[in-house]
Amino acid sequence: MPTKQKVALITGVTGQDGAYLAEFLLDKGYQVHGIRRRASIFNTGRIEHLVHDPHEPGPRFELHYADLTDSTSLIRVLEQVQPDELYNLAAQSHVAVSFEEPEYTGNTDALGALRLLEAIRILGLLRKTRFYQASTSELFGMARESPQRETTPFHPRSPYAVAKLYAHWITINYREAYGLYACNGILFNHESPLRGETFVTRKITRALARIRLGQQQCVHLGNLEARRDWGHARDYVEMQWLMLQQDRPDDYVIATGQSHSVREFVELAAARIGIVLAWEGHGADQVGRVESCVGDAPLARGSVLVRLDPRYFRASEVDALLGDASKARAKLGWSPKTRFEDLVHEMMDADLEAARRESLVRGHGYPASDRRQ
Amino acid sequence: MRTALITGLTGQDGSLLAKLLLQRDYRVIGAVRRSTSANRWRLEELGIDRHEHLTLVPFDLLDADGVRRLLQDFHPDEIYNLAGQSSVSASFDEPLLTLQAAGAAVLQMLESIRRLDPKIRFLQASSAEMFGLPRSAPQDEDTPLCPRTPYGAAKTYAHWMTSSYRDNYGLFGCSAIMYNHESSLRSREFVTRKITDSVAKIRLGRLDCLWLGRLDSRRDWGYAPDYVQAMHRMMQADTPATYVLATGRATSIREFASIAFRAADIEIEFGGTGLNETAVDRKSGRTVIQIDPALYRPVEAEQLVGNAARARAALGWEPSMPLDRICAEMVAADLRRNAAGASL
Repeated sequence: MPTKQKVALITGVTGQDGAYLAEFLLDKGYQVHGIRRRASIFNTGRIEHLVHDPHEPGPRFELHYADLTDSTSLIRVLEQVQPDELYNLAAQSHVAVSFEEPEYTGNTDALGALRLLEAIRILGLLRKTRFYQASTSELFGMARESPQRETTPFHPRSPYAVAKLYAHWITINYREAYGLYACNGILFNHESPLRGETFVTRKITRALARIRLGQQQCVHLGNLEARRDWGHARDYVEMQWLMLQQDRPDDYVIATGQSHSVREFVELAAARIGIVLAWEGHGADQVGRVESCVGDAPLARGSVLVRLDPRYFRASEVDALLGDASKARAKLGWSPKTRFEDLVHEMMDADLEAARRESLVRGHGYPASDRRQ
Repeated sequence: MRTALITGLTGQDGSLLAKLLLQRDYRVIGAVRRSTSANRWRLEELGIDRHEHLTLVPFDLLDADGVRRLLQDFHPDEIYNLAGQSSVSASFDEPLLTLQAAGAAVLQMLESIRRLDPKIRFLQASSAEMFGLPRSAPQDEDTPLCPRTPYGAAKTYAHWMTSSYRDNYGLFGCSAIMYNHESSLRSREFVTRKITDSVAKIRLGRLDCLWLGRLDSRRDWGYAPDYVQAMHRMMQADTPATYVLATGRATSIREFASIAFRAADIEIEFGGTGLNETAVDRKSGRTVIQIDPALYRPVEAEQLVGNAARARAALGWEPSMPLDRICAEMVAADLRRNAAGASL
């Protein structure tokens, strides 16, 4: 470690990546600050174990109230924290929700990134603070080539992707125009047991666990053929840090280089808990039935576990996203550690554990909270 | 009678488009930002400021309710979104406002159209600045967008949002990727008009010297009346699309300045290099152009030249004026205005 302790500020620290990154940086000896939005519901479940008792000396992890839609709050926190590294992970990060709330998505994801960059400039931190912007494979949208790399032209197809693309370009602009050390990490999908429950991977593992324990009948999904390049969030946050430790800032694609369909994800997750699925029917009428089930209290053969719901089909689907992370591999010496199967298993195991806990709590007559903290 | 709503009606393109649409029997609603300084000089010069079918209504791009109100009050058939903070260099000073006006406001319009009347046709005035530092020239509709300025990034946001609403909801949304287009109605903050206005003032003995930034910057300069005509044609086509509008020829600022001085009967000669480059009036020997490094942009877009083959094929569109005639028209207008004591 350098003599002086480094200071990092993370927006979106209460989310999946924020939680992994905070933990990673604390392990590296950083003083870590996080920005959280005020809510009347606890939203710090993923980082509870990191929060230091304020009565103990020298807390290295601190949360601040601020919001990407509020410039003054960002300026205030940045002025106070004076970070060496700023990771902008906060966003309205759900593609489908961006069709419902396009304006809010733009305000948070596009304007929000710009507000942070402007705060750095206004506070005279252009030479001090290194900036990481969480870009996304959704920028490629209707991709012109496969796999996608840093030079692949973008063609965003959702309000989320359009907003994120603005943030991507404005980050490059502040690097070029003002010499800010700023990087875009174009991350392909990355999952973990901490993934939000509305994202398809977590939705699948959570539902299958609950179905297996009889807490739920069936799960409704969208396009089973959609293919994604799924990595593990824990692997990807290391990458985010590495990007800010180089001699020169740059943009990197982070991906596993393998794509799998939603259907494969479902089959693999089901197999982990002893269920073999059989698919029947076509188009929106397709269903997934239990072919066989092993273990205690097995599910009945033939019962329907998976149905399709047209509401979950995206207005304009991004069909196949597959990343080529050669540049990150060559320049940063990075490669993903977790295999797809292991990722699915880890998520499935964690959700099965949570569902068991819920059964146990219910079995003792207590209301089970839906939120696993 | 068809109704067209134009945002940014008091600007160069807005006023030219209004005139074109009024000539074609449209009712024109101009959505304009309220200001205590009169900004109707373009409408006056075009002779349409009192046209019976032109209505100006106060409107601000940052007011989401304003869009909905305009749609409900006037039921336009066509909306031309020409408003927005349109200066690249100002976008470095006001990046947030630039994105709100040039980007976020477009989303509000698209949302309002989708919800209130999806039959409304929408045109987004996009910009060649979206190409940024293109790897190849000329650029066309398939050239990747790599904006390098806050203005370019905001315009790219609006462009993709328009294309996204076309793909996702089937809205009739066109994006016109326009290269620089000039006329005597150009605002003086743009380099061409700044040059022609200064040349007129120098010619009339009211200014000594014209200060410019990078003289090597090259631009594809077209004639603004041609471009608004293309916009109108896009909106009459069977299907909505993205079109590049350009002349396909790039000219340096140095060359444009020479043409402008020549149009005012002043022959100039350049000497020196870099920041010390100057131009002198051959006859009098006076220095008439000097370089001001403050006018250099932090990031400069190079080799922006457009290929308008699609517009040519699908819309039968052609640029009608060579640059020296555009420039001469601008200088003539500025000589006339300055001689009359008007500063517009």
